Amino acid sequence: MLVRPDVQDFRIISYYLGRVLLVAGAFLGLPLAWALIGREWAPVSSFVLTAGAFALLGVLASSRPPGEHRLDWSHGMVVAALTWLIVPALGSLPLALSGHFGSPLDAYFDAMSGLTTTGLSLLQDLDHLAPSLNFWRHLLQFMGGQGIVLAAVSVFAGGVGLSLFYGEAREERFLPSVASTGRFIWWASVVHLLFGVVVLGSVAYFTLGFSPVRSLFHGLLVFFAGFDTGGFTPQSTSIGYYHSAVFEAATAVFMVAGAMSFGLHYALWRGPRRWSSLRNLETRTLAFTLLLTATLAFLGLAVLGVYRSVPSLARQGLFHVLSAHTGTGFATVPSSELVRWGGLAFGGVALAMALGGMASSTAGGVKSLRVGLALRMLKNQIKLVLLPDKAVISHAYFQGGAKRLTPALSQAVLLVSLLYVALYLLGAGVGLAYGYPLQDALFESVSASANVGLSVGVAAPSMPILLEVTYILQMWLGRLEFVAVFALLGFCVAAVRGK
Amino acid sequence: MRRRSTRAWLLSLVVLWLAAPAATAGGSAFAAPAAVTVAELLADPTAYAGEAVVVRGELVGDFGERRDGTVWTQLNGDPYAEAPLLGGGSLAGANAGIGVRIPSEAWPGFDRPGGYRLRGPVVEATGVWRYHDPARGGESYLDVTDLELIHEPLALEEEMPWLPLLLGFGLLGAAAAVAVAKRRRAED
Repeated sequence: MLVRPDVQDFRIISYYLGRVLLVAGAFLGLPLAWALIGREWAPVSSFVLTAGAFALLGVLASSRPPGEHRLDWSHGMVVAALTWLIVPALGSLPLALSGHFGSPLDAYFDAMSGLTTTGLSLLQDLDHLAPSLNFWRHLLQFMGGQGIVLAAVSVFAGGVGLSLFYGEAREERFLPSVASTGRFIWWASVVHLLFGVVVLGSVAYFTLGFSPVRSLFHGLLVFFAGFDTGGFTPQSTSIGYYHSAVFEAATAVFMVAGAMSFGLHYALWRGPRRWSSLRNLETRTLAFTLLLTATLAFLGLAVLGVYRSVPSLARQGLFHVLSAHTGTGFATVPSSELVRWGGLAFGGVALAMALGGMASSTAGGVKSLRVGLALRMLKNQIKLVLLPDKAVISHAYFQGGAKRLTPALSQAVLLVSLLYVALYLLGAGVGLAYGYPLQDALFESVSASANVGLSVGVAAPSMPILLEVTYILQMWLGRLEFVAVFALLGFCVAAVRGK
Repeated sequence: MRRRSTRAWLLSLVVLWLAAPAATAGGSAFAAPAAVTVAELLADPTAYAGEAVVVRGELVGDFGERRDGTVWTQLNGDPYAEAPLLGGGSLAGANAGIGVRIPSEAWPGFDRPGGYRLRGPVVEATGVWRYHDPARGGESYLDVTDLELIHEPLALEEEMPWLPLLLGFGLLGAAAAVAVAKRRRAED
């Protein structure tokens, strides 16, 4: 029997949602300061308006503390799902007011794409956008990549944040409390940020000949988008703008770092057995799938004869496979060229996007751990058929220590993997219904669902509204890995039909 | 006299004979480079590979002056180059740009590329379209030999929109009032 949520349930959800909105609104201080320093008056006014909206909504929602009642699992999931709908809605205000979008829905699409670290964009005339607004788009990726709910948990939730933590699709808590895990994630991200800006800014200054201020600007924005596997870029031609193998290599380092789970970051930085982490099933699966998809892409590009030399093929092919597999979405070729990558090249890149990076990272997709466990299940199933009846089949695997592949875990892995496949097919179906070719519709759908951002041109300001809404939902569902969204739907159904 | 005219006639014939292959070959020394748009280059990049072309557009982003003496920037051939949004132009989709490499001898030394509140210099760039250049790891770009300024850079004005600003301060004030009231209620 469905139990209808009572006033207290709504009060708890509202209270924590309000606190998260206040933390999210605090981030607006950064682009506001940027706009003031740059004397960008139109963005200043839109940032003040947005900060006001965040503040008022946050204060009103959190005005009644829940008292003795604690945040339970379903409350946390609902808060996480709502956060990821409301923050992009408010965060899209400065974008909508900029005059660079055809409609508020287009601006919402961009904000959702930013927060979910997807990187698809409907922004028009990016090359004349105010730097502070461009910074805000990239900061949304940083907030979403590290986890906006996690930031709030680190600040205020203390011991009650476990469900919020899991609601945002985090799967491992490598420190005793959620708050300390959250603080480590943000601390590690800030250290990476400083290092990344120095490295990328230096390359831009010394190798590309940019001015010091512009070098910092490019370094900062490309770091945000690279480490958070987001895919937005300061200029319209993505990473192809830089025409530099050195810059691409430096960017690739941060893309890979972003696709690594924060648990692995922690183990490599501080853990007593740091190198044993490389034995993890997830790490080895990622290495295997990267090798597989890169081989497919290289073979495909070689067959197509797109590049006339091996170094060209290796550089362009590897960068795009890395970008796809880490879920970043950077490109060095325009979408009009990517669309011509048919056959194995298309297969390699699309498969890399679909499989995704590591769990508890900023990457999207099915995730390497699930792929590894699914392969392990397949292997065990084959053994079961081939070996004698009395043979003992091991269900152990190594992931930060010896673990056992239980039936419940197997079920969860297969369920989420199947849901991802269904999501990929759903978007492709809508694209097909609007008359897009199968290959283009599937590519763009996988890109949106796996929060990648590589595009063959379907996601454009002229696309049908229903397809746009589908991609928005795919980005949201893909980022939250379904559970929090299903909890929200269940909560809504219970509110209407429960007793 | 007659022998001299025969010699001149023969000499002309030899010159024509030697010049003929160059004149009939693709990308001839005598034929004017084809004028193409950025959209055409992006739609069918192989058709112009290795060809001399003339492309018109706005220089945007950065002027990256590299150690080898070349300057790299981006040339946008979209409607915003002619009618910027802040100058009253309307939305016309995403930017359409290509990379351009300009040798120092052809670089006019522009001050600022196009960007926020600035329509950059609009130029006509003549050069060779390098498509998937093996010498540069498969990059595609226009290798410029000559750059002609068509329109000077244009500074664009943007007015302060007061309504969102006042509304924003109003919302912040209301949020502060609610927060203060909440605190007082808690203290009571």
